Amino acid sequence: MRSSLPSLPQDSARADRAGSTMRWIWGAFCLFVLLAVAQFVVPAYVIQPFRRQTPTALNLAMAIRQRAPVGTALACFLCLLCAFLLWRSASWWRKILIVLPLLLALLATVMVRVNYFEWMFHPIDGAQFLAQSDSKLASGEMVMAVRFTADARAYPISQMAYHHVLNDMVGGIPVAVTY
Amino acid sequence: MWKRTVNGEVLHFYLAGINNQNFLMRDRETGSWWQQITGKAIYGPLQGATLEPVLSDELTYGEWKNEFPSGLVLAPVPKYTKEYDSNWESDVAKLPVVISFPGTDVKSRDVVIGLTMNGAARAYPWETFARQSPVLDRVNGVPLLLVLGPDRKSFRVFVSRIDGRDAEFFLQAGSPGWALFDSTTASAWNFQGCAVSGPAQGKCLEPVYALKDYWFDWRNYHPDTTIYKR
Repeated sequence: MRSSLPSLPQDSARADRAGSTMRWIWGAFCLFVLLAVAQFVVPAYVIQPFRRQTPTALNLAMAIRQRAPVGTALACFLCLLCAFLLWRSASWWRKILIVLPLLLALLATVMVRVNYFEWMFHPIDGAQFLAQSDSKLASGEMVMAVRFTADARAYPISQMAYHHVLNDMVGGIPVAVTY
Repeated sequence: MWKRTVNGEVLHFYLAGINNQNFLMRDRETGSWWQQITGKAIYGPLQGATLEPVLSDELTYGEWKNEFPSGLVLAPVPKYTKEYDSNWESDVAKLPVVISFPGTDVKSRDVVIGLTMNGAARAYPWETFARQSPVLDRVNGVPLLLVLGPDRKSFRVFVSRIDGRDAEFFLQAGSPGWALFDSTTASAWNFQGCAVSGPAQGKCLEPVYALKDYWFDWRNYHPDTTIYKR
């Protein structure tokens, strides 16, 4: 920041107001970054395996997750606005303090639009079915079996325990195979 | 397993989260959140709706092949075959348990057969069931038959009634393989619950949906469940 000695009382007051406005904008910047990041972190924290979830926490997590794609975009936009206002008068180290949180906010905005559960457990794209003569599945392996009219299908549990959910059509009936 | 049609609309589900032992899924059509184990929508536009369950079996591939020689089996996806774990059962048993329900003889990771009959839930500890099969029980006034399959890994549950009358079943001691008989007509029944010989031949017992689950999970979703004891 360029230092200049105020020569008149009005200049001093103006500089104070400018300084105080900057502080407000810094505060707003921090708030919007937190809002963006929280919309990713809170649901991700609540909805994780091996962690007990209370119904209230789960409801909150789902409520946030549902609105997050728009919410983070909005928060991110406001972050960018603040960053723009802060940029010119910021020293080089303050510029880093602007860029890093901004990147976090952007990362959160991206992460709420991806389904990282499907990175861990890939869904089946275009399920294929084999005749028994073509299958190498061992006889002792457990399967989930369903039949509608003449259409009998078996879903090996070793496979469904990984994919977790499969949208299928059995005997003309749309079913969700879940494990 | 669930039917995907709700109010005439076919939904497409995808994995959206893990909720204790079970998972959460969402549908692409409305974005509502569904609990995998109960089939209930717990959040979103369809909140309160329940999916229609599909009667499905959990049995060995070998047993299933005997029953449905022309049935199709899901092909493994080549790029994920290294993720498929044939030892999933013993591996999952080692995972930590986040909730527990002390006060009964049943331990958290004990496997039970869980079923509900007109709202009343009951759990049958696997060890007890396997030892005593066939198990005759009564839940909410309905007579039930729980039976371990010839492979000793598959199980099925039926309403224990022939032509509307309560029936009792027993495994014939000493006979080779697997032979289930009823004490009323002395007909022979197969693992699919159908009589293959005797006066009742051609009749089939009504199947009952039952789930093989860990005790802590069953108890978590059925707080009022009773436990089968003999």
